[in-house]
Amino acid sequence: MNYLLHLIVYFDIYLIVALSLNLVVGYAGLLTLAHAGYYAVGAYAYALLSVNLDWGFVPAVAVGILVSAALSLAVSLCSWRLKGDFFVLASLAVQALIFSALYNWHSVDAPLGSLRNLTNGPFGIVGIHRPSLFGYSIVSPIAMAAFASVVAALCALVVWRLSDSSWGRVLVAMREDELAARGLGKNTRLLKVQVFAISSGLVAIAGALYASHVRYLDPTSATLDESILMLSMVVVGGVGNFRGPFVGAAILVGLPELLRFLSLPDAQAANLRMLIYGLMLILMMHFRPQGVAGEYRVE
Amino acid sequence: MQIWVNGLISGASIALLALAFQAVYLPTRVFFIALAGIYAAVPFVALSLLDATGTWWLTAPVAVMAGLSLSLVAERAIHLPLEKKGAASGAQLIASLGAYIVIVQAVAMIWGNDPKSLRRGLDSVSHLGSVIVTGAQWVSLIGATAAIGAFLIFLRRSDLGLRLRALADNPLQFALYGHNVHRYRLLSFAVAGALASIAALVSAYDLGFDAHTGLHAILLAVVAVIIGGRSTFIGPVVGGLILGLLRSQVVWHMSARWQEAVSFGLLAVVLILFPHGLLGRRQRLEAE
Repeated sequence: MNYLLHLIVYFDIYLIVALSLNLVVGYAGLLTLAHAGYYAVGAYAYALLSVNLDWGFVPAVAVGILVSAALSLAVSLCSWRLKGDFFVLASLAVQALIFSALYNWHSVDAPLGSLRNLTNGPFGIVGIHRPSLFGYSIVSPIAMAAFASVVAALCALVVWRLSDSSWGRVLVAMREDELAARGLGKNTRLLKVQVFAISSGLVAIAGALYASHVRYLDPTSATLDESILMLSMVVVGGVGNFRGPFVGAAILVGLPELLRFLSLPDAQAANLRMLIYGLMLILMMHFRPQGVAGEYRVE
Repeated sequence: MQIWVNGLISGASIALLALAFQAVYLPTRVFFIALAGIYAAVPFVALSLLDATGTWWLTAPVAVMAGLSLSLVAERAIHLPLEKKGAASGAQLIASLGAYIVIVQAVAMIWGNDPKSLRRGLDSVSHLGSVIVTGAQWVSLIGATAAIGAFLIFLRRSDLGLRLRALADNPLQFALYGHNVHRYRLLSFAVAGALASIAALVSAYDLGFDAHTGLHAILLAVVAVIIGGRSTFIGPVVGGLILGLLRSQVVWHMSARWQEAVSFGLLAVVLILFPHGLLGRRQRLEAE
């Protein structure tokens, strides 16, 4: 039972990731590989504020969202001038910079969270507090699953309202033909800044949920492999509509569970899982470029 | 002086891999990330062959052929069918990413995740004035320079090289002149596979390898392509050398852990200030 609850929390985390990445990849049509960086920024913000200053979930996450949204300027400003493969590369550069900041911002003789040792580098942060709301700490697995589901539902509500609004329609217009959207007087540069800020803010929430659930955090959650995994999740699930991310997150959580029935040795199972993701990416691009439940084909 | 020499040697192997990437990117516009998988797989093939035969004269050519074949398989099974469907560049990139993941995970399942080395025992050392160069560094420098030189001369001097440049310049017009574009695409993938295999072997001989070295190497190579200029074949070579020299200076003046930040910071600066690279031809970004 606890195991099932644990899976629910993971599904909620991946769902938020997929929903937020879908805004950028699916609605704005910009392939980014920097998403894991912003996820980790949210996770680190929560971890540091909860461990060092004993902040509750809501204020710590709020700070995480703000920091992540502010840092998203690094990608959105690049998207003003670059597109296609070269935007992907620029996002990769941002990803590498965030990772090396998280990995290197430490020194052995300074306490965690000080200006000289902000992240504790490769040693990570241990003993992150469980989420606490209004003074109540969420401890039991069932409460955690319920809490994560409520947070994911709130995020889904935000994304749904946004994508259904006139703002979401301008986003799609920009994806289809940026020049035409600008010709109609839409400020596409502002739009790009907004969509990256919102998406990075949302994924920071997912990062904070992860940090508070696992209670340990190190820079591996900001690696390129994580970004690739996130991208493959939305590409396989489908982008450009509201259903796709749900399918993508379900596949990402469900696939390892199916592989359990094959009773492979542990080391092989992890490799096999990644191999299947890779195979799915190739097959999807060949036979269903819009993903299982998506509407938009990646350009 | 030692720092500059080290930078030059590591720059030469970055330049070789960058040239391999460019050999596919320029003629076909495929963002060939699967090259990272080939780069990771070839040293393992070489290691198995070396254990079986014990001689480099057989091992090296067969390992390069294996990398070349893998590259051809990627073209025929993945990129050409997508091209025929008129897939967008993003779709090619994602499919190539998928191919990379498949190759690397297959390698890890067959040979394991542990780091390995192609070199036995201690390395010989030679002194050039105050500069110390190891035997592996000589192999790396000579192998990379020879491969780069051979490919550039092939491009300039041979008929086939001329056609490859023509394909890179304007694929549509090249096809209209009656050339079989698919066959020349195959050639460009073969060249890329071979160059990447040589790059993989020399760096595995010098530094050792594991199943996951490929992506990092190819990312550096792509950074070199962008810095040098993505519309020429000489650009990646210049970019690779600059990157190698810069990275060795970072190790000397700051710390090895800031190498990545400086490399990718340079990428960001170049992308914003010189979007076409240092040697690239200027053209409108919308034209691509």
